[in-house]
Amino acid sequence: MTIYFFLLMIAFLFLFQIALLFYLVIRKKKRQRYEEEIESQYNHLTEPFSSYIIEPSDVRFLYAIRSTRHQAVVLERLLNGYVAFTKEANISPLVKQLSEEFLTEPYSRILGQRNWARRINTLHYIEDFHMASLSPVLFERLTAANKLDVETQQLIRTLASLDETKVSKELSRFPNVPIRLYVDVFNRLQKEGTVKEIQSALDGTDVTLKYAALVFIGQSGAMSFLPAVEKELESSHAETRIQALKTLFRLEYMSDPDLLAPFFESSIWTERMFAARIAGILQFSRYKKILSTLLGDSVWWVRYSAAEAFTHFSDGDVILAHLSENHSDRYGRDMAAQWQIYRPGGAN
Amino acid sequence: MNVFFLVLSYVIIAYMLFSSLSYITLFLLAFRKVYRESELDPREATEDIAGNDRTFPVSVLVPAYNEEVGVVSTVRSLLALEYPEKEIIVIDDGSKDQTSARMIEEFQMIEIPYAVRTYLQTADIKAIYQSSVFPYIRLIKKANGGKADALNAGINLSSYPYFCAIDGDSILENDALLKTMKPIIESDGQVIVTGGSVRIANGSTISRSKVETINLPSHPLVLMQIIEYFRAFLIGRLALSRLNILLIVSGAFGVFHKERVIRAGGYNKKTVGEDMELVVRLHRLLKEEKSKQRIEYIPDPVCWTEAPESLEVLRSQRIRWQRGLSETLWTHKKMMLNPSYGSIGLVSMPYFLFVELLGAIFEFCGYFIIFGGFFFSLIDPKIAGLLFLVTIFYGSLISALAVLLEELTLHKYPKVSHLVRLYGWALTETFWYRPLMVIWRIQGIFAAFRKKQHWGDMKRKGIST
Repeated sequence: MTIYFFLLMIAFLFLFQIALLFYLVIRKKKRQRYEEEIESQYNHLTEPFSSYIIEPSDVRFLYAIRSTRHQAVVLERLLNGYVAFTKEANISPLVKQLSEEFLTEPYSRILGQRNWARRINTLHYIEDFHMASLSPVLFERLTAANKLDVETQQLIRTLASLDETKVSKELSRFPNVPIRLYVDVFNRLQKEGTVKEIQSALDGTDVTLKYAALVFIGQSGAMSFLPAVEKELESSHAETRIQALKTLFRLEYMSDPDLLAPFFESSIWTERMFAARIAGILQFSRYKKILSTLLGDSVWWVRYSAAEAFTHFSDGDVILAHLSENHSDRYGRDMAAQWQIYRPGGAN
Repeated sequence: MNVFFLVLSYVIIAYMLFSSLSYITLFLLAFRKVYRESELDPREATEDIAGNDRTFPVSVLVPAYNEEVGVVSTVRSLLALEYPEKEIIVIDDGSKDQTSARMIEEFQMIEIPYAVRTYLQTADIKAIYQSSVFPYIRLIKKANGGKADALNAGINLSSYPYFCAIDGDSILENDALLKTMKPIIESDGQVIVTGGSVRIANGSTISRSKVETINLPSHPLVLMQIIEYFRAFLIGRLALSRLNILLIVSGAFGVFHKERVIRAGGYNKKTVGEDMELVVRLHRLLKEEKSKQRIEYIPDPVCWTEAPESLEVLRSQRIRWQRGLSETLWTHKKMMLNPSYGSIGLVSMPYFLFVELLGAIFEFCGYFIIFGGFFFSLIDPKIAGLLFLVTIFYGSLISALAVLLEELTLHKYPKVSHLVRLYGWALTETFWYRPLMVIWRIQGIFAAFRKKQHWGDMKRKGIST
């Protein structure tokens, strides 16, 4: 290898980079021009669009969008802006109608393209705009999918948002489905479909599905499932009992306070912690004595939750003041002292 | 003697070619992922987890030492973070300035009794404060013990299962935490650490703790650091993360699974490179436990930080970084070329030793021979010329490539002139910036033997108005 070889190599790499630089400069300029054009069309159509959404008889927007050069992109941005601005918009019939009329064809095309990012974006937009017209195309893609990657997961969410109950059956084809994906499906299906799915999840033997159902009940506050949740407190699986306790904590309701009693003496600290938290949030006065015992528990989180529980009672301040002086356990006294002043919680 | 220099020249040429090739390989590995994801709609990507009960709550830890200028704006930027549930814990590590006073005044903080769990031993906690306006902002005032000690104190006080460590002079973009937590949430806990991209804020307009306009600084020293960050974050870290052999998650911005960190023993107080040392230790434990858990880097979430503008501060920073690297590699020397640690032991550790640590020594020898060859006939000027060309390839051209990769994928700098300026400055790297770095990095290796603990003095101007 001579110096000329290296000279050539450097020159080649340098020239390659210069060419790439020129390409990127030109690409950047083109993008800027394209963005300016889109921005101008967007601004031009914003007023007629808003007017059409408020009063559908004002059809100026429909004429204008038909003659717009970047019709699909501009409409997509207008609808996106609207959907992001007002969450009710995702069930607006006008959003659905406009997107189905103008975006069905371009979106079908994008879904068949190689650009992964655009396919993912499109799946999100179909969900946001409730484009039921694309259900058959999406379902075809789902049946052809053989692994549960990011795209398939979004495909499932999008189809669930279009109330395609068949997704649950398709989902069972895949091993190790994460709980969050089931919860996402429950969240997206229409109420009637969700109730059926939850009921069958609670009755079934698939533990993941059952946990997902419990999580969903807690998140959505579906009180009609309370008896089923309380029944799970008797489960022989510790994890199921903990999930059920977590759900009751979120529901902030129990039909029978006695059901909580065994958990204060559980050998599993998570159960003791949730029992303390539930007793606090539901203000079960009968458990005040047990809570003061738990204030001296060997696990920090149990002590923390027991002290926090007292803050929910009207006389909690007085009890905490008393316990901060008189509790037999030093850590219990410290914890009680902390909760006299401390305000819990994170930013929501 | 001439034969010695001749052989040394060829060794350095071979080394630089090998290192350049390793960079290009990393570049190719990084490119596919960044390019594939570059067109993703950022709002849609995080919409599902924003405001969802499914996210895990995060404790944001801000260790601060003499950060009176920047600490309030950093906390304000954290208040603006879009994240369902978080708490912010500032740890004043015995500052000599008004760091605590600024926090107490700005957020109307009151002292509270707090039953802290001592998972990790730290220097004395003097007081704990809670904001009466935003109860989830807390301040720990403690005796000086170093950054690692401050972070350990923050871990002790934190209530949530994940913590995010950020520097006291940094500003996070609004959706940075959501994006960083996304891989953790979606992997159902298989990802235990995520590191985000850190960018230099000098030149950009940051108003009320929010990045308003992205611009380039005029100072060449800062411009070169921007290019260097592209090279480090976009080429190095992303590719290493794809192979699950990433050894560094920047101390300026990273999210960690708290229990894992506690099990690993927390941050190591005996090194100045506590961020890297912790990540290497976590990798070590994962390998020893044959765990499939991962450490990931995400190119997009952006944390903005203030880069040094003076040679003196930059020198001190680089000496500290190099010293941290040396100490980490020495502490975990058992992993080096050890097949029990898989690709970490066989690829990542040797890469950091030969390219990142010893690279400075090879480069120093290279500059010495080039100079000696051209001016003192130390070797044949043709060989010196050859070495010079390889040095340009290794320095300037690889950095220029990093600039192009940034434009091809994330294109955060909006103007065409930004791209051209960055590219132009990247080409000058070999001639002035790199020699400076080489000298300081060598000083850093020597500093590792002296072992003097300090936070590193950075004269802040503050990056937010």
